[in-house]
Parts: sequence; structure tokens; C-alpha cells
Amino acid sequence: MFDKIEVFQMAHAMARHAGSRHAVISQNLANADTPGYKAQDIADFQTHLSRNMAQQGGDFQIRATRAAHLNIGQGPGTPAVFDREDAVADPNGNTVSLETEMVHGVNAKRQHDRAMAIYQSSMTILRNSIGRR
Amino acid sequence: MSEFSNSLSVISSALQAQSQRLRHLSENIANVDTPGYRRKTIAFHTVMHGSETPGMVETGRVRLDQSDLLQIYDPTHPMADEAGNYEGSNVNLMIELSDAREAQRSYEANLRMFEQTRQMGSSLFDLLRR
Repeated sequence: MFDKIEVFQMAHAMARHAGSRHAVISQNLANADTPGYKAQDIADFQTHLSRNMAQQGGDFQIRATRAAHLNIGQGPGTPAVFDREDAVADPNGNTVSLETEMVHGVNAKRQHDRAMAIYQSSMTILRNSIGRR
Repeated sequence: MSEFSNSLSVISSALQAQSQRLRHLSENIANVDTPGYRRKTIAFHTVMHGSETPGMVETGRVRLDQSDLLQIYDPTHPMADEAGNYEGSNVNLMIELSDAREAQRSYEANLRMFEQTRQMGSSLFDLLRR
């Protein structure tokens, strides 16, 4: 029963993705006044996940060395960082826009909160099912 | 989790850089009437590798703005030359103030980001509680 609880894997992957995205965005914001800095980004979770599923043959699953191991793998790996293309450059060559970064930051935070909420409520269901409150 | 601590150190480097910038700006503003004062500027750049976390902001050396000093006509001034002019500073209050406003804006944005990262980290810890 416990060898394949996909909702936990999914929540884990989602929280990890939100964390990496937030790290990239805070790096952008930190360099908002650095001349020549190019704003960076990573693919959003949906794109990243579907790309990963296509690679792994359509199943969101982690390989375990033994069948008895709990299947709590890493989820899809960290997506690649790329320079944001639609950004407009300042006269000093910097392409960070504070407003865009704030919006992306809030989105990443919400994604993280969502993943945490999903994880927590699944945990509650699991606890209830084994008879604990 | 390590990503959170990385981004916290990146953000704090940016906060430090912005406050250093603000310090030089206030020096410039304070010396707007000092004869012969040249305004100070500092450059920001990104740390790409090395022992520090990549992406951190570093401030470069302080440079003096080499643009012309303001010539002020005042024959009674002790530093006045034959024509009655003396050299003031090359600080332009308008530039300094708008620069200070920009630094403040970036500082606040970074502070907001710091708070967000901290919240995300603590919500992760909340899973361990209970």
C-alpha cells in the first residue's frame, strides 16, 4: 500500500520546484541593479513535469533498487536555468523588472504553499486510515 | 532546503550592496556644497564562481566621477582665481535623490523576498511538527 503514494511524490516534486524557482527569482531581484545582468528563469512546474513524464515513459515514478523500498524518490530533477527572452533591457543592459519578479515570486510562494497543504492533508488522511487522530 | 539558505545569502548580499550604495549617495548629498568635491559612484557585479554562492551581488571599488566641477562666480571667496571663479562640487542633487529612491525600492523588494523565503522555509518545518 505504501510503496507508491503518488500524491506525496507529486507534492514533494512541486515543493522542490517552487523552491528552485524562488531561488532563481530572488537571485534576479538581488541583481536588479547589476549592469549587464540577464534575468533568469526555469520552466514552470506543468511544463517541467510533462517533459519529465515523456522522458520516463509516461509514468511519474522513481526507480527503487529493491521492490521493498518505499518509493519516495527525488521526483523530477531540477529543471535547467535559462535567460528570460521576453525581457526588455535597461540602458545598462540589465533585463530584471522588479514588478515581474515580484509577481513570479508570489506565484512560486503560492505553489509552495499549495504543495505543503496537499502534503499535509494527505498525511491527515493516511493517519486517519491507520486509526490515529 | 539548501536552496532557501542559498537564496537567503544572495538576498542579504543584495541588501548589503544597496545599503552601501545608499551610504555613498548620502555622502554625495552631504558634500554638495564642498568646493572641489567629486561625487562617488560604486559598481555592482554578480559573483559567478568561487567560494561564495553564485549569483551574489558584489560591490566594486569606489570611483570618483570625473565630470567637470561646477564653476561658481564669487570674487570674494578665498579660493577664487583671477577671474573670480572657484570650483564647487559636481554633485547633482536631482540625480542623487532619484538614485536613492531606486536603491530604496530595490532594498524593499529584496526585503519582501527575504520574508517570502523565510515563510516558505518555516512552512516546510511545520510539516515536521505534530
